[in-house]
Amino acid sequence: MTKRETYFRHSLKVDGQLCQSCTACMRVCPTGAIRIRDGKAVINDNKCVDCGECMKICPHKAIYIQQDDFAMIEDYEYRVCLVPATFIGQFDDRYRTRAIYSCLKKLGFTHIYEVEHEVEYMADLYTQYMERHPEIGTFISPYCPAITRLIQVRFPSLVGNLIRLRSPLELASRVIIKRLMDKGASRESIGVFYVTPCAAKIAAVKYPVSGKETCISGVINMDFLYNKVRLMLHERSRDTEPVNHALTSRGVLWPLSGGEAALFKGEHYAVDGLQNVLDFLEKLEDDAIDARGLVEMRICDQGCVGGVLAVNNRFVARKRLENRARIFDRLQRPRSPGMRSYDPEFTAMIEDQMEIPEIKPRSIYKLDDNYAEAFKMAERMKKIESALPGVNCSACGAPSCAALAEDIVRGDARIDTCIFINRNSRASESAIRDIWGEKVRTKEIHKDEKTDH
Amino acid sequence: MHYTFDIERGNFSDAGQASSSVKRTLKQLGVDAADIKRTVVALFEAEINAVAHAYGGRIDVDIDPEKIVMVVADQGPGIPDIELAMQEGWSTASAKVREMGYGAGMGLPNIKKNTDELKIDTTVGVGTTVTMTVYLR
Repeated sequence: MTKRETYFRHSLKVDGQLCQSCTACMRVCPTGAIRIRDGKAVINDNKCVDCGECMKICPHKAIYIQQDDFAMIEDYEYRVCLVPATFIGQFDDRYRTRAIYSCLKKLGFTHIYEVEHEVEYMADLYTQYMERHPEIGTFISPYCPAITRLIQVRFPSLVGNLIRLRSPLELASRVIIKRLMDKGASRESIGVFYVTPCAAKIAAVKYPVSGKETCISGVINMDFLYNKVRLMLHERSRDTEPVNHALTSRGVLWPLSGGEAALFKGEHYAVDGLQNVLDFLEKLEDDAIDARGLVEMRICDQGCVGGVLAVNNRFVARKRLENRARIFDRLQRPRSPGMRSYDPEFTAMIEDQMEIPEIKPRSIYKLDDNYAEAFKMAERMKKIESALPGVNCSACGAPSCAALAEDIVRGDARIDTCIFINRNSRASESAIRDIWGEKVRTKEIHKDEKTDH
Repeated sequence: MHYTFDIERGNFSDAGQASSSVKRTLKQLGVDAADIKRTVVALFEAEINAVAHAYGGRIDVDIDPEKIVMVVADQGPGIPDIELAMQEGWSTASAKVREMGYGAGMGLPNIKKNTDELKIDTTVGVGTTVTMTVYLR
């Protein structure tokens, strides 16, 4: 492939040893970011939005998410575990929240803080933003980072509809840091570690769209931490840790599909699952849906409990969170005072830091910056596509015939990789070897196989 | 680049394929998002008009470097009074069509608003040909 400048980094990686180039990932990728080259799946940095669909479908566990070394928490005197409500949903009902928290402490964290503490304040920030920009009309929630990136690359005309605010994670991390500093801790001594249910949230911390700095010191994969805690619980750790906070039912439900939208009085929508999201955005872009108000969108079915690093069945996890929320409702916890309990100077600083100055579109469709050139390429692409068989067999290492046609005009592939077009040619052999590597070594079929049918 | 699509009477649920294909090509060309939107909106409106009123028809789209020309030709009742049809809110839509969210009487006015040139050739009892042009910046 031709070398191009990388302007975006993603967190999904392919393990070349495990990858069997089965093409499963390539076929589900919503941005066409995957090709097979040299016998393994290759992810295009600029196209990947870290939705995690490839990792969910991979039968060989060859796609993984790079995480920070857990030992790095030891570098800090104050070690905050920033847990999303989704984490509790991973465990069976018999393991109580306080037992789970106690395990986290034993693993080395000094403080546990739930990400959704500040969601009500977050909703206030959304509302303020919506009131400041009445002309926008349709507001897409910025909560799911895969959605923001999907819009940037596939629906660039909708970037203006994204609420330009950073995630509750950034808000929560700043609040807990402030609390610890108010008690005398120095900024350098505090490490905040976020437990992520998906690839997109890691990318959002490591390579933020806002370009602004993060207060998160490291990211831990949810399945990794789940295994550690689950083992301790299995070994009958009976200790409990008091859960002393003011998380409300709204906070607990926020990561679930519909949880965010529920905080808004005006018209709102909750769209979850990749196909539903694509369909909604497509229609929104065409003005075929007149959606006013807030559009909550989650790339994973059911919301964050459907994240690729979530362990428990998403419906079971959802149930646990809903049960927890019901208990909180019975306790009649007051609405979190949120930022109102801090001095105005701090609040002003936070509001400034939460703002995203600009979300730039970066279309993956555009064939060339020069319009005349793009036009020539599009014409050629249409011609090539009509010559291709249209069976989408992927033997060329591209997900579809249309994708191969695009790769050819972009100079990333050759027409002789199509086995239908070049079925009798020797020239195609070298091209196919480039794609499938060692796999193309023709194996002798046993005589019985040939004659017995 | 030329595209052709068929129009089937009453098939509202499948309408929009023409505008989707055209949209994809315009995105590849890097056409300005606002121009893409008005093209797609106009084409979709014209298609819906034909689906609602005509017995069938055909969409022809030509994209060339300077402009997009979209021709929606139907065999149908024709438009007896174009001036009236161009007025916002004027509609002949049946209750069934309105139930599906169409027929608000904004079709032709919306097409006019979103295109640079609009030509309507109509013969009562024969059909209507709507020719829309969008110039690209």
